Amino acid sequence: MTVATPVRAGRPGRRFFAILRYTLQSCFPPRRWVAVLMPCAGALLFGLLALTVDDTAQRAFANVAAEGIFGLVMPIAALIIGDSVLGAGGRAGRFHFTWLSPTPIWQIVVGRWLGGSLVALFTIVPACTAAAYIAGSPESAWPTLVAAAAGSVSYVAIFIAIGCLTRRAAVWSLAFVFFVERLLGAALTGVAQLSPTWESRAIFVAWIDDAPSRLVRDGIPQGGAAIFRLALVTIVALALAIWRMRHMRMVGASD
Amino acid sequence: MVVAPGPSRTDDPAFAADASVVVNDVSVWFGQKVALSDLSCSFGAGVTGLLGPNGAGKTTLMRAMTGLIPVNQGAVQIEGRDPRRDRSVHRRMALVPEDEAVPSGLTARQFVRYIADLHGIAGREAPDGALHTVGMLDAADRRVDTFSKGMRQRTKVAAALVKNPYVLVLDEPLNGADPVQRVNLIALFKQLGAQGRTVIVSSHVLSEVERMAERLIVLMNGRLAAAGGHHAIRDAMDDRPRHVLVRSTDARRLASSLIELESVGGLTFDTVRAGIVIETLQARELATELPRRARDASVRLLEVRALDDSLESLFRELVR
Repeated sequence: MTVATPVRAGRPGRRFFAILRYTLQSCFPPRRWVAVLMPCAGALLFGLLALTVDDTAQRAFANVAAEGIFGLVMPIAALIIGDSVLGAGGRAGRFHFTWLSPTPIWQIVVGRWLGGSLVALFTIVPACTAAAYIAGSPESAWPTLVAAAAGSVSYVAIFIAIGCLTRRAAVWSLAFVFFVERLLGAALTGVAQLSPTWESRAIFVAWIDDAPSRLVRDGIPQGGAAIFRLALVTIVALALAIWRMRHMRMVGASD
Repeated sequence: MVVAPGPSRTDDPAFAADASVVVNDVSVWFGQKVALSDLSCSFGAGVTGLLGPNGAGKTTLMRAMTGLIPVNQGAVQIEGRDPRRDRSVHRRMALVPEDEAVPSGLTARQFVRYIADLHGIAGREAPDGALHTVGMLDAADRRVDTFSKGMRQRTKVAAALVKNPYVLVLDEPLNGADPVQRVNLIALFKQLGAQGRTVIVSSHVLSEVERMAERLIVLMNGRLAAAGGHHAIRDAMDDRPRHVLVRSTDARRLASSLIELESVGGLTFDTVRAGIVIETLQARELATELPRRARDASVRLLEVRALDDSLESLFRELVR
């Protein structure tokens, strides 16, 4: 038995692309894919549900999308994706292999986020868009696509940050969605301004022609400003994840 | 190379002469539970065995050494650098964790290649070479998560070797390996140690540690219990009683002739092994007296064997 002497090459981006490839190849085993696809199916069902509402197609879809798509299936899908790209690996003791390398922490975090975001962009975002067509409101498809893309990408960053902050990432992520966003966000505009649910709804509502007035929420950015706000939220969440990952206490599956 | 900081520790067996890994007054606790307490030791070239019962703090020490967990007090240095603060340390160090967890969906080659990519190692040769080293090249295109425990361990060893580490930390690396692979892995670790690398191996299979490690660090309840070669540790424990099994043609007659000896502290009949077990604090005197007494009593000695010279018994004694 001999040990090979490896050749080190400093090709820029090698590590980053290795992380990205690993995220797509390894963080989504078949069960995770099933879990991600279930909210996607839910989005399509909400599209069908809109057909039963006695209103114009666009208003019916807007009402269903605001609560069911942006308030439920998009966060759930992003939660599963965000947990897959970091939290699950950390709990299982698989994240050691990545952390114990000279790869800069920011590349690990951004690589994982980008991988998770790509999965979201090719699963839940098309599903939400398809729901608009199913609901008979193709004119809502484009606003839905933009809002779902901005919201889910931002959510993935938040759930990665939660995965760095706590070991029980899935539980705390659910608490964030239902207690912080749904309960506090409904009551406090300040919370809603930082919430992907509320801000993605604001993007969607601003860009459809016939939005029900009850969906327009005063005091939070709308349309393009909401996209900018979500971009800021994403950057802050990633910065928090990078800072926290430097101080993480890495434990194994048996702990 | 870094010499252990603080007062001179050249005579202390817990410290290696040219240490690459220095653990200095380290304490780690998880809530109320103290996992490591004021532990100081160092590791240098060659294979060092890390021993201790479950909960002794071996895995915690390995995680602290590799920077996976922070220490609450004290400091760990790898070649003079803090593994928590300086990520370049990981270029030169590798850990084979005890956990069975391996990346899902990847083949062994993809997994080792991933580790190589993270370390900026170009080409296919290094991953394939590492897999070949641990005898996994034939299974390189099979998914790691379908492997047996032993194959997973060997793949993780390959992932550690692909970066050509100077410091190799192995947490129970022989778990699940078949006898042939155990022999091969032990030979590999010894070879790596002989090359001047720092190889730290924890194991519960003490006979294997005895075969591969020239130096031992024994932990108990998060503290250093003993350090040095296993013979040296044994010699340092001369104040503890040793046990000698004596099989003879007439155990009772031999026992009655030995009981009055000053070197015999206690004597029991061992029906399983068909002999007597003598407890002694003066092994050398007993060795001189035993044949004489046997001859005087007209008893023929069939076997005289120290029961506690192996690492197993040493370990038992330390953790008693």
